[in-house]
Amino acid sequence: MERELLLEIGCEELPASWLTPLAGQLAERLTARLREFRLASDAEAETHATPRRLAAVVPRIAERQSDHEELVSGPPAAAAFRDGQPTPAALGFARKYGVEVAALERVTTPKGEYLAYRARHRGRAAADILPDVLAATLRDLSFPKQMRWDAWIDDGRGELLFGRPIRWLLFLYGGRVVPFTIRRSPLAQSASVQDVRSGAVTHGHRLLAVSGRAGRAVKVRSFQDYKARLAEHFVILARRERQDRLVRELELHARRLGGRVHASAHASAGPLAEVADLVEYPSVVAGTYSAEFLQLPQEVLTTTMIHHQHYFPVVDDRGRLMPAFLAVTNIEVDNTRKIAVNSERVLTARLRDARFFWDADRATRLEDRLDRLDTVRFHRALGSYRDKARRLERLAATVAESLGAPEAAADAARAGLLAKTDLTTDMVREFTELQGTMGGIYAREQGEPDPVWRAIYHHYQPASIDADAEPSRESLGSAAAVWAAVSVADKLDSVVGLFGAGERPTGTRDPFAIRRQVQGVLKVLVDLPEVTGLTAAVDVGPLLAGAAAGYPDGTLAEFDEDLQTFVRDRVKYVFQQRGFRPEEIEAVLGATGVALAPLDLRHRLEALAGMRGSQDFAALAVLFKRVKNIAREVSPVPQPAYEARLDRSRLVEPAEQALLQAFDRVAPAMREAVAARHYRKAMAEAATLRPAVDRFFTEVFVMVEDAALRASRLMLMVSVRDLVLEVADISQLGGA
Amino acid sequence: MTLQDLIFKLSEYWGGHGCVIQQPLDIEVGAGTMSPETFLRVLGPEPWNVAYVQPSRRPADGRFGENPNRLFKHHQFQVILKPAPDDIQQVYLQSLEACGIDLRAHDIRFEEDNWESPTLGAWGIGWQVLFDGLEITQFTYFQQAGGIELAPISVELTYGLERLAMVLQRVDNVFDLVWGAGVKYREARWRDEVEQSKYAFGQVEGLSREAFAAFHRELFDRYYAFAESLLAGGLVIPAYEHCLKCSHLFNVLDACGGIGVTERTAYILRVRQLAVAIAQAYTQPATPTAPEPLPAAD
Repeated sequence: MERELLLEIGCEELPASWLTPLAGQLAERLTARLREFRLASDAEAETHATPRRLAAVVPRIAERQSDHEELVSGPPAAAAFRDGQPTPAALGFARKYGVEVAALERVTTPKGEYLAYRARHRGRAAADILPDVLAATLRDLSFPKQMRWDAWIDDGRGELLFGRPIRWLLFLYGGRVVPFTIRRSPLAQSASVQDVRSGAVTHGHRLLAVSGRAGRAVKVRSFQDYKARLAEHFVILARRERQDRLVRELELHARRLGGRVHASAHASAGPLAEVADLVEYPSVVAGTYSAEFLQLPQEVLTTTMIHHQHYFPVVDDRGRLMPAFLAVTNIEVDNTRKIAVNSERVLTARLRDARFFWDADRATRLEDRLDRLDTVRFHRALGSYRDKARRLERLAATVAESLGAPEAAADAARAGLLAKTDLTTDMVREFTELQGTMGGIYAREQGEPDPVWRAIYHHYQPASIDADAEPSRESLGSAAAVWAAVSVADKLDSVVGLFGAGERPTGTRDPFAIRRQVQGVLKVLVDLPEVTGLTAAVDVGPLLAGAAAGYPDGTLAEFDEDLQTFVRDRVKYVFQQRGFRPEEIEAVLGATGVALAPLDLRHRLEALAGMRGSQDFAALAVLFKRVKNIAREVSPVPQPAYEARLDRSRLVEPAEQALLQAFDRVAPAMREAVAARHYRKAMAEAATLRPAVDRFFTEVFVMVEDAALRASRLMLMVSVRDLVLEVADISQLGGA
Repeated sequence: MTLQDLIFKLSEYWGGHGCVIQQPLDIEVGAGTMSPETFLRVLGPEPWNVAYVQPSRRPADGRFGENPNRLFKHHQFQVILKPAPDDIQQVYLQSLEACGIDLRAHDIRFEEDNWESPTLGAWGIGWQVLFDGLEITQFTYFQQAGGIELAPISVELTYGLERLAMVLQRVDNVFDLVWGAGVKYREARWRDEVEQSKYAFGQVEGLSREAFAAFHRELFDRYYAFAESLLAGGLVIPAYEHCLKCSHLFNVLDACGGIGVTERTAYILRVRQLAVAIAQAYTQPATPTAPEPLPAAD
């Protein structure tokens, strides 16, 4: 007989951003613990989270644990009997388990034959085991930040930390309460601080009820019943349903205002997702603000509404902000006016602050803020942002040249110099998430040319390594090259400086987000043609050296190799995230003389991925492993001189001739293709070597006695190896 | 409801829930948390329930009486319950009802907002309580104070009295609040705000910024050294009060731009070291206990 398990952990309000991960953890940990405790179920755990509850249901769990056998080894068989009689060792072992020696078995292990006892454990009733499952599951849940609340469990592990205090536990198996207690510490235990005991009740919405006292205990029998009771008591359990209701309400209210909800609401990780987890019963209240605030930059308005108040801006049919907003509430009221008035008051106060900052900040030009940057520290060992501004001015210009855009150098220098000055503005002090954005806007306001202000505006981007991460080519326009130079220069400067200051990331510790900054540089370089129209395949190595030149002598010297390795790892990460296989990445990084130039590597990888369907190429990859192994006799690493030492006069066998001819045909075509970065063509050329290489291995024995002949054959192998390595080390792809 | 009625209501409510109603600390502080009624009483195992108004000085928030929402000195109503009762959220919500708020007509939410005071070596887990989107209370389960892990856990409720009163009186400008007895906040507090803001930013006619900063820096050092002497002499509470003086002087120096970025961190660290030493001394077993009353003579 199988029965339903229902668990609800009733908490005080859990942070919104935790809910989805917690629901995932609960499903995963509960399933794992049930398996560990041998409570079989063919059904998945379904879990839910709202601000005040974590819930799980497993539709069918066996009534008893599965039986369990265990083989316990005893004395060696050789020592167990003497003259056919059991020895004291054997008798003692049998006695220990309360059986006759005759009931023992023999097992053969690598160390020899042993006596053994087969212990059979009868499964215990599920109801007796489930408290242990719950204790273990509660311990398993992890939180970004956990708290002490004078609680502990009788599982031998003492205090129970949790995300927020647990106020009730609904814990039913087959409709009956499974007893479980979270104890409270003796210091806290009192009339107002009591143990939390599992029961058959849940609690609805804190403040809403159709009848009776809101938030009172509600008896529950099953998951179906539980969901229905919660719905009656104004709790929408499923996050999807909360979000759907929210979207419907938002759209309805926006239409009534004659507009629609600002696009940011629909971004995947946007405010919608967050707000749906801030409430158990979402409703929407519409408010307005004075149209005079529309003079503020749109970014300031949306940031104030979305990030500071969780309000949704409303736009008209042309996408322009209307002086209206939608606030999501956790309550349903007949008259929303009171809530709207208060919300309007809060927003107006914030916008008034913002307008004050907007007016005050514009009174000082950005270049006049440079001196104030002296008081903003970049890093303990690396000085102030004033120092950084000086470095960026120079570095952004040189990066522009490296990117093949010398005409952008002057604007890049200007943008680099001013990029950080917004850190001294009141607006950015209040709305830190607007750093860069505000700098760009203030630069525009003071008449900086388009490329300069746009480069400042976007210089913290890209924020991710996705190919379509902002900024897009459209949003950059003519500023694309300047932006790329400033964005890359800013990140390089930080990476090099912080590495030199000993802030190299370790494990999960990366307080300065160095990994992300390196990835940002790589993203810009990988997608350079799409975003900027520039086609230079820029090597990261010299860029890092250029950044180091901005610091006092010796900053780079000590960690150069470390940093190269670090960047190489990031390169691998970026391409893996882009869907390339690890062995493909190793293959292109193994090409002869390949630079750490993300765009060049991307082209090679795309070519390689394009060859996945070619049988000749796949076969060549396998053969290439042999080629490399034999060529190692001469040298493990390629050298241009080897090919010149190829003694053609000695290679007279038909198979040798065939390979030589193939080589002579392929080499120039392939090299021409590599030089032109037509890697697909180069690889296709290489693939045509396959029949000749194959035949060579079938018909020719390389390691002959004749030293001169052996040397000639080896040199042919070396030449083939070195040729193929110019495009990629395809031996990595060989597989078996 | 006037501001003073609000204070009466909250005092009556929490007095009725077992709190000692204390009077404000007579020393400049930035928040009710800094009063020894909170900072020292949350240490150690003894139960303690207390509530009080705490005038709180935030020099950097001074706006010369021109900003409708920001003040050099605002007022907090501070509640400490140790240990934190299981139904504290409910009890808190009822305190709002006691102040005349209809909980079913408004949107009241507990949104994550953990609290930390680097100068006190203290932090806690909790929420800001939003009333129709406006923060009216900070709700914190203290985890550590003076670097000491707390047991049992105290809960701290800090009501922003001006904020709450503005909601109740439906006014947009703090200076339009009715304080009580027909007196407006403007009459009670405006001149104070103007002059204190000038002071906080070091705008003193006839006194250079350098001289202003130097005076406060010197005071800081002297109070700091004296606090250390008091602590060494076993006078923990006077030592703490002098530590609070340092904290306030640091806030003034910070507001008037008298300290640089690096220096700033060093100041915070110094105050914390003192606060930690004081918290440790306070929890030593040697703490004198109040004498038992003498048995009555027959």
